[in-house]
Amino acid sequence: MRLFLSGLRKLVRRQATWVTLGLLAGLLVLIVVAVGATANRPGASSAERTTALSLVTFPGAYDVVLSFILGLGGLFAVIYGAAVAGSEWTFGTLKNAVARGESRSRYTLLSFASIAVVIAVGLVAAFAIGVVAALVGANMAGTSTAGLTDAATLGRLPEQFARGWLAIIEEGALGFAIATLARSQLAGIGAGIGLYFGETFAGIFLPDIVKYLPFNVATASVATGTATGGGFGGGARIASVDANTAIVLVGLWLIGALAVAALFTERAEISG
Amino acid sequence: MTGTDGLALAARGLRKSYGSQVALAGLDLSVPTGTVYGFLGPNGAGKTTTMRLLTGLIHPDAGSIELLGRPFGRRDRRRLFDVGALIESPAFYPFLSGRQNLRELAATGAPTAPGRIEELLDLTGLRDRAGDKVSTYSLGMKQRLGIAAALLSDPALLLLDEPANGLDPAGMVAMRETLRHLAEIGKTVFVSSHLLAEMQQMADIVGIIAAGRLVREGPIQELLNAEGIVRVRVAPDEVVRATAALGALGGPDAVTSSAAEPGWISVRTTPERTGEVNRTLGGAGIWATGLESGNDLEMLFLGLTGGEPGQGGEGVFFGMAGSAPGPNARGTGSES
Repeated sequence: MRLFLSGLRKLVRRQATWVTLGLLAGLLVLIVVAVGATANRPGASSAERTTALSLVTFPGAYDVVLSFILGLGGLFAVIYGAAVAGSEWTFGTLKNAVARGESRSRYTLLSFASIAVVIAVGLVAAFAIGVVAALVGANMAGTSTAGLTDAATLGRLPEQFARGWLAIIEEGALGFAIATLARSQLAGIGAGIGLYFGETFAGIFLPDIVKYLPFNVATASVATGTATGGGFGGGARIASVDANTAIVLVGLWLIGALAVAALFTERAEISG
Repeated sequence: MTGTDGLALAARGLRKSYGSQVALAGLDLSVPTGTVYGFLGPNGAGKTTTMRLLTGLIHPDAGSIELLGRPFGRRDRRRLFDVGALIESPAFYPFLSGRQNLRELAATGAPTAPGRIEELLDLTGLRDRAGDKVSTYSLGMKQRLGIAAALLSDPALLLLDEPANGLDPAGMVAMRETLRHLAEIGKTVFVSSHLLAEMQQMADIVGIIAAGRLVREGPIQELLNAEGIVRVRVAPDEVVRATAALGALGGPDAVTSSAAEPGWISVRTTPERTGEVNRTLGGAGIWATGLESGNDLEMLFLGLTGGEPGQGGEGVFFGMAGSAPGPNARGTGSES
């Protein structure tokens, strides 16, 4: 428990945690408020106005905000996971823990567990900020916020959150595993981003294979049914597996990534 | 906790290669409990590889290690609960303060006693800067924090890799006193260093490693007594004749002179043979104008590791007048 709490304390004091959350929330606020402010601009066509208003009109705005967070958040999670895991090698702090007799795999897995908790908190915080921004956008656009308390939508949110959290930590775990294999923060981040976008491009040529790959299943597992669902993510422009199959695959990718990270750390020769 | 044979640390036949590069070629170590053991060797001799093996960061290709009397292998990480280590450069989270770094490190491995962190911050003189981020620390401060980190769990065995790096003179004195104190209360300190003078003042026992093997190990004074040197000064135009005469004492290889110090001749022999050196010169009709004897870790080190002594690197010498401390006193040699 003390190791897990220590991991949490380190993440809270890490600048990358706040920068990542700030960037995600900032972009979300900027887009949603800008849409609200310009929805009724002179010269906008009826179709443009309808599309813009759908982003800030509740209850649909819930799905928009969530899909934005899950989409862009996936990329951020890859980077964040890689930054945290890679820094243990880059700073040399893993060496300290191992030399004190700490279990390598336990250290690795509990480090990731603390990341998963921080991601959950970040997901809720970003969602709350996004909803407030959508309310501001709705007021600016002069559209009703009556759908804010739509029971059916609110009832779906916990499951969507759970799926979304699992999808994002799976993407974070990939970055975590890549940086562990690379033994470097910078190399891990670079390789993680490359893999994220590489999977999207590979989908053009190998859609039947790519739909089972980690970023695509993550996106498919949180499909919200909206036009923008998963649209910010690393895939889902190709035929995807159904959401329930996807969540199983997300779990498998998550376990696989963590197993690779733990096994590699367990076997690695630590120097430098 | 002590080993059954009185050794806190023992290694037998340690071998480690990185690809085709042999780092250790059958290293043996015997570190008695309650001593400061100086682990010396030139760059690339295998010191850091040894440290990594002793802390489980890497694993040997062959050979065995015993820590505190019990075998230490891949599955014996808990042996390290009684070991504190500072390996290579001190590593910390730069975005955390010194105190926070110690706190987070204390969450790993063996439990740390309450109040221990503050005690160590006092011991290492970091109390005033403990709240500052480590990224603002100097190398010496990081080194002191590293020593504090190694002492976190009050270990029975302390492994320190070049702990004096970056320390100012006051910090070095404090570290030396701390390590000596730890040995006095029964802890074992295994310390690698390039600072031979520091080792000469601090270590009870030294092990000298070269090319991945231990080439000499033993109580420092025994080694120094066996590896003494006598320096004699003659008229510069008599150096050649004097060198030939003194060669009869220990062979021509034992006698050296340097153009940097005209007239001075060094004879590798025990300080007890100083009179014999003087007599030999007198027998050859050469009169010494200066005579010194002593022993020096640097000479021993260079002799065993195949290095060349630097100019003026003779270290501790005690003059004929007898005003200097006796040959068994710890002196100050020069750095290599």
